[in-house]
Amino acid sequence: MSRRVKLALYALLCVLCVPFVFPTWWMVTSSVKPISDIFAFPPALVPSRFDFSTYSRVFELQPFGQQYLNSLYIAAVVTVGTMAVAAMAGYAFARIRFPGQNVLFLVVLVGLLIPSEVTIVPLFQMFHAAGMTDTHWPLILVPILGAPSVLATFIMRQFFITLPDELEEAARVDGLGRFGTFYRVVLPLARPALGAVAIFTFLHSWNLYLEPIVFLSTPSKFTLPQALTQFVDAYGSPLWNVQLSAATMTALPILVVFVLAQRQFIEGLAHTGLKG
Amino acid sequence: MTDLSNRVAERAATRPRHFWTIPRRDALVGYLLISPQLAGSVLFVLLPLGLVVYYSLQEWNVLAGTFEFVGGQNYAKLLADPNMGQVLTSTALFSIGLVVLNLALALTLAILLDQRLRGTTFFRTLFFSPVLVSLVAWTIVWQFLLQQDGGVNGLLGAAGVDGPNWLRGETTALLSVVVVQVVKNVGLNMVLFLAALQGVPRQLYEAAQLDGAGAWTRFLRITVPLISPTILLTSIITVVGSLQVFAQIAVLTQGGPGMSTTVLVYYLYQQAFQFRHLGYGATLSVLLFLIVAALTLLQWRLRRKWVFHES
Amino acid sequence: MKAPLAALALAALLTVTACGGGEAPAAKGPQPLRMSIWTSNEAHLKLFKEIAAEYRKFHPQVGEITFDPIPFENYTTTLTTQIAGGNAPDLAWILENSAPDFVGSGALVPLKSKVENAAELVPAATRLWERDGELYAYPFSTSPFGVFVNTDLVKAAGQKAPRELIKAGQWDWEHANEINKAVAAKGKNGLTILNFDYKAWDNLATVWQGWGAKAWSDDGGTCQFNAPEMVEAMTFMHKAIFTDKSMPGPGTAVDFFSGDTAMAVAQISRAAMLKDATFKWDLVPLPAGPKGEYAVIGQAGIGVLKKSPRAEQAADFLAYFTNSANSAKLAAYFPPARTSLLTADTMAKTSPMLNGDQLQKVVIDGIQKGVVKPSHKGQAELAQTARAALDPLWKPDADVKAVLDGVCAKIQPLLGG
Repeated sequence: MSRRVKLALYALLCVLCVPFVFPTWWMVTSSVKPISDIFAFPPALVPSRFDFSTYSRVFELQPFGQQYLNSLYIAAVVTVGTMAVAAMAGYAFARIRFPGQNVLFLVVLVGLLIPSEVTIVPLFQMFHAAGMTDTHWPLILVPILGAPSVLATFIMRQFFITLPDELEEAARVDGLGRFGTFYRVVLPLARPALGAVAIFTFLHSWNLYLEPIVFLSTPSKFTLPQALTQFVDAYGSPLWNVQLSAATMTALPILVVFVLAQRQFIEGLAHTGLKG
Repeated sequence: MTDLSNRVAERAATRPRHFWTIPRRDALVGYLLISPQLAGSVLFVLLPLGLVVYYSLQEWNVLAGTFEFVGGQNYAKLLADPNMGQVLTSTALFSIGLVVLNLALALTLAILLDQRLRGTTFFRTLFFSPVLVSLVAWTIVWQFLLQQDGGVNGLLGAAGVDGPNWLRGETTALLSVVVVQVVKNVGLNMVLFLAALQGVPRQLYEAAQLDGAGAWTRFLRITVPLISPTILLTSIITVVGSLQVFAQIAVLTQGGPGMSTTVLVYYLYQQAFQFRHLGYGATLSVLLFLIVAALTLLQWRLRRKWVFHES
Repeated sequence: MKAPLAALALAALLTVTACGGGEAPAAKGPQPLRMSIWTSNEAHLKLFKEIAAEYRKFHPQVGEITFDPIPFENYTTTLTTQIAGGNAPDLAWILENSAPDFVGSGALVPLKSKVENAAELVPAATRLWERDGELYAYPFSTSPFGVFVNTDLVKAAGQKAPRELIKAGQWDWEHANEINKAVAAKGKNGLTILNFDYKAWDNLATVWQGWGAKAWSDDGGTCQFNAPEMVEAMTFMHKAIFTDKSMPGPGTAVDFFSGDTAMAVAQISRAAMLKDATFKWDLVPLPAGPKGEYAVIGQAGIGVLKKSPRAEQAADFLAYFTNSANSAKLAAYFPPARTSLLTADTMAKTSPMLNGDQLQKVVIDGIQKGVVKPSHKGQAELAQTARAALDPLWKPDADVKAVLDGVCAKIQPLLGG
């Protein structure tokens, strides 16, 4: 590639970056701006003075630490659970023949087509009748077993389809049963696809907004997206800088983890990953 | 050797056939493996969906606590609803804009990052980073940036362009929501495309180049067919996702100005939860479900026509 | 995980067969009470919990009393979703704009005989919560609108302070607009109507009331958006926004409390936000309109839901929560509707942010003669429909009359129904 083409490419990448980077930058810097700076025009790229008191206010106004833990543990449980459920179902649908397979796959696929707004009222009624409102169960059970995990199953199935038949034949010759083949041979190969599923699932759970609002009512049980909308004064007006501080705290650790672990995340995906 | 295999065959023939043949055992394992997902689908998807269909036949006054069978009345209301034309138009524009922009941008970024350049990891991180920011936070920030005197117009002003009042114009509001959503999520599709691109054997390109194929031809004849399964996957996810965009609209425009950003899922939310027409909301849910199902089925059907290597 | 799953399966069956959402079984022992509220302010919650603890001392049969904050943004929506799901709270705050729905649907328990000394409640404050002579919610917060003024900005623009205009008998919208025009010319913001943001148009009642305009007729049956008074009032606002620039235009975020805005129309409870203000401020009544002086109030009531299996107990607690002694305590944050508390002296104790004159003119007079923001049965749908139809008004070249005719065309079917 010639120098000129390279330069042009870099310039293009830099310009394209702006809408991706600027909002995050603005969020982080504005969280320490005095409130009048937030409304300044043109917007200040760097705060005129730093006011970190908003960060301590985040914890004063709400049990934010607890809410952080809630979001983290729910997302972790959901991720692990979904990986298990989706890997099993995906493998079975892709590699095992059994009567009714196609019909059952279609039944499962229905979940892919349902926006959560559609079923939230009946789900709420069910969980309420089971005495599980204002607990984390709905936020854990529904994503692992219900509609959100169907996408994961779909991804896993598409991955398993591409595996060569010889692998399983070899495993069978070695005396492994179906379970053994799945657990010892196929699953280790599926790490890239599982990685993709993990990212999708973690982010989905981490960002879940409507469901926590509907299911949870005690502030100490809230999750982060829900908590973010609660940084308001008594009359519903947002406390902008406190809200932005809280938002920054929800985003930065994930960004850091991603930057550190992105080789595992993306490159794993890239090497053998999702080709269909 | 022959002797041995004959003996094995003999034994298989003489011994009573075991019930648990390999196919049967396989099937059992299959059922076991899908059972959690299947149970979840029945309990958390089909059952609630059935209830929604049932509700759509009722007039349900939440506050008064009355629940009354009205048959097809809600469906008649749907057909006569004067807002439906606008809502469906907005939904179509929104979804088409979002899907086209998302897929095109994702593929462009993936191709750019697939070049042998230094620092692609860095850029990849940047493009992916909005995916990690919580949706609510992301939307709140954009709400500021899109104001008349906000960051977007500040940047445009620096470039000498006088920006519009993004969220107040009917066209620009729709466009804004689309762009905010695309920038937020395009990173996921980009990564999937990148993975697919890196799986395309380089020799194919080299061979094609020797045959005198230009860059565009190589893209159309080699890249697209080879990554077509990924295109199918991402487009299904994106189409379905585009019909479910909700929080962004709730925060940014609340369906306005006029009804320009009132897409079906938002209208459904308004009717069911804000206006408390739960029966009618359920009817709209059924409609939304049918649209999503039809589109997905269509894509799945069409895949044979263009997706390479799909059994 | 097995137990919850089994419970869920059972619940699913229950839902299919019963479909009403199960009532909680009559448990023995102390019965808890739950009240939905929209504040998550710690000082408020602390006060509520103190009152609740006090109550439980004398009522051992009552278990824990919890206060569930639901975000203000989605308050009514979330509350009704809970009710739909069969998880209704025992008591709930109700916003003025959903009052007709709650009161009219029969979802609430009558309270007149329960409330302590109901006779002293200001009629302007109870009107919204009454039906057929019965009271269905206690008006626990009755907050008049006033104009907060950043006197520093007004002075810097070389303008007379509103207080001086009041003395001269010139505090009206024309004069106010002149001040804001001058401030805006200096590059700051003129007047903002808090929470309006070109969406929540019911807040504009704080302006159009001065022209004697109404969203709809008193019986709620006829749209009045295109009546001459309304056209005049809206023309005034349109000119202020787009010609004089004395009100920040659509798509501009304004924050009065950070000091860049000359005036803000807001409920007086907002005074608490000015505790650490870096500028001098004042609170004055709404300017007079062509039809003279007027006042507008925003309201919240507390009701007991009929669906609650403990409604009787909940009503008893509500009576205690709102008795004279506790109303006086609550007055620190929520302006009371009890005449005995509505004196400048009593109020001064609870609202240290405001002086006697401000309390008398804005708060006490406001509560006595105030008109409540417009509300109607099916308010949420009306509000959305009118919002969408009003959007074309917020453009520089809008035809005010034509837009308002359009609003009526859209909402009349909803009013008539």
